[in-house]
Amino acid sequence: MNRALYARRRLTNGIFLFLSLSAAAVGMGWLGLILTTLVMKGAVGFSTTVFTEITKSPGSNGGLANAIGGSLIMTSIAVVVGTPIGILAGTYLAEYGRDKAHAFVVRFVNDILLSAPSILIGLFIYEILVRGRPYSGIAGAVALAVIVVPVVVRITENMLLLVPNTLREAAAALGTPRNFIIRTVTWRAARAGIVTGVLLAIARISGETAPLLFTALNNSGWVNGIEALRQPMASLPAVIYFYAGSAYDDWHQLAWEGALLITLAVLTLSVVARFFESRRY
Amino acid sequence: MNSMAPVDQNQKVRIDIQNLSFYYGATKALKNVSLPLYDQKVTAFIGPSGCGKSTLLRVLNRIYELYPKQRAEGKVLFDGENILDGKQDINLLRAKIGMVFQKPTPFPMTIYDNIAYGIKLYERTRKSVLDDRVEEALTRAALWNEVKGKLKESGLSLSGGQQQRLCIARTVATKPEVILLDEPCSALDPISTAKIEELIDELSNEYTIVIVTHNMQQASRVSDYTAFMFLGELIEFGTTERLFTSPQNKRTEEYITGRFG
Repeated sequence: MNRALYARRRLTNGIFLFLSLSAAAVGMGWLGLILTTLVMKGAVGFSTTVFTEITKSPGSNGGLANAIGGSLIMTSIAVVVGTPIGILAGTYLAEYGRDKAHAFVVRFVNDILLSAPSILIGLFIYEILVRGRPYSGIAGAVALAVIVVPVVVRITENMLLLVPNTLREAAAALGTPRNFIIRTVTWRAARAGIVTGVLLAIARISGETAPLLFTALNNSGWVNGIEALRQPMASLPAVIYFYAGSAYDDWHQLAWEGALLITLAVLTLSVVARFFESRRY
Repeated sequence: MNSMAPVDQNQKVRIDIQNLSFYYGATKALKNVSLPLYDQKVTAFIGPSGCGKSTLLRVLNRIYELYPKQRAEGKVLFDGENILDGKQDINLLRAKIGMVFQKPTPFPMTIYDNIAYGIKLYERTRKSVLDDRVEEALTRAALWNEVKGKLKESGLSLSGGQQQRLCIARTVATKPEVILLDEPCSALDPISTAKIEELIDELSNEYTIVIVTHNMQQASRVSDYTAFMFLGELIEFGTTERLFTSPQNKRTEEYITGRFG
C-alpha cells in the first residue's frame, strides 16, 4: 500500500467534506435568518384584525383581509384553470407524443415558458387583457394560470415517465383502450407526484408579485360578488410591495405580517407536498 | 435446418404461426418462424437470451404495437383469421388472449379492484356477480385463502409471489381463450415458482397456454410441447417428451444438456 497516496486521499476527503458542509451551512444560515427576521418582525403585534379588517389609510388600524381574499381568489382561479391544461398537456407528452417531432417542440417551448421571467408574463397579459381597460382580478388570475401551466406540464410528464412501461403493457394486455389505461392506471400510479407538482405550483404563484402589478394591481377596498373580478384586486404580494415601500410604520408592520403569512402558507404547502410524495399508493 | 414444424394431426391447432418475421427498427429478431400452438395444451418457448422467444410471444397479442418502431411480417392465424392484418379490434383480441409478465404488475389499486378491472372492461355485472367472479378467479390462482380477509388492501402490499398470482388471477378473471406467460417465475422464489407451476398445470385443462422460460426443468415439468429457438430462428419443435429425450438437432441437444446458453 502506498501510504503517501492514502494519506493524500484522506486529506482530500476531509477538505471536500468541509467545503460541502460550509456551503450547506451558508445556504441554511440565510434561510434561517430570513425566517427568524420574519417571525420576529411579523409576529410582534400580530392580531386577528389582520384577517378581519381590510387595508386602510395609515394610522387607522387596518388589516389585510382584502389582500388575503384577493390572493386566495386569484390563486384558486389560476389553479383551477391551469391544472387541467397542464395535466392534459403533460399526459400528451408522456403517453402519446414520446417520440414525435411536434412533442419535442411542445416540450422545448414549455421549458422556455417554465424559465421565463414572470414579469414578462405580466407584461404579456397586460398587453392582451389590460391595456385600454381597467386593471382586473381576472387578468391577474390569467397571468398566474400562465405560470402554473408549464410547471404542471413538466411535473406531469416526468411523473408519468416514471411509471414503468410494464404496467401499461399489463393493462393493454387485458384489452384496455389507451385512454382508459391512462385514466385508470398510469395517472393513478403517478398521482402522488402530480399532486405534489400542483402544490408546488401553488406555492410558486402565491408569492408572485411582478405579474400581478401589471394585471390586478391593487385595491384598497373590497368589492363583493363577480364584479370583483372586473376591477383591480388586492393581493398579499402586491400589498407587501406597496406597504414596504411606504413611509408609515403601521404599513411597514402590516407588510411584515403579510410576508409572514405567505411564508407560512408556502411552508405548509411544501410540508403537505412532502407528505404526498412519501405516501405512494 | 428446417424451421417448419411437423404438425400433429391429432391435435386441434388454436394459433397457427406462419412465416413470421419480426423487426425492432432495422434489427431482425425473428426469421421466418412457423409453428402451431395446440388447443388446451401448454407450449413452452425455450432458448438462450436474445433468441426471440419473448418477441414471438409478444406478437401473439400484438402487445409490441405499443412501440412504434416494432413490426411483424407473416401470418398469425387465430380462429382462422390473420391477427396481423390489422382488421381485428386490438382490444377485443387482447381480451381473448391474456398475458402475464416477467415482473409482477399489480395495478395501483385494491386487490379486489385489480381483479374486477378486467371484468368491468367488457361486462356489466351486478355487484354480487362481480364478487363471485373475483372470488372464483382468486381461488383458481390459489390466492383466495391468503387474501380473502384483505380484499380492500392495495395489491402492492402483497409479496412478489402473491403479486404474480394476483396477475394470473386478473388474467383468468376475464375468461380469455389463450394465456401467454412471459417468464412468469423468473422473479420468484422456489416455493412461489412451484405454486405457479401447479397453477399452470391446472389451467391447462381449460386454456391454451404458451410459456416463455429460461428454465429447462420448468419447460419439461409444465409443457406438452416445446419449441427451441436460437438467434431468431425456430430450431426444433415437438412434444416436450420427445424434444428433451431425443432431440433431433445438434444445437437443441447442446442447449438442453447445458453445453451452451
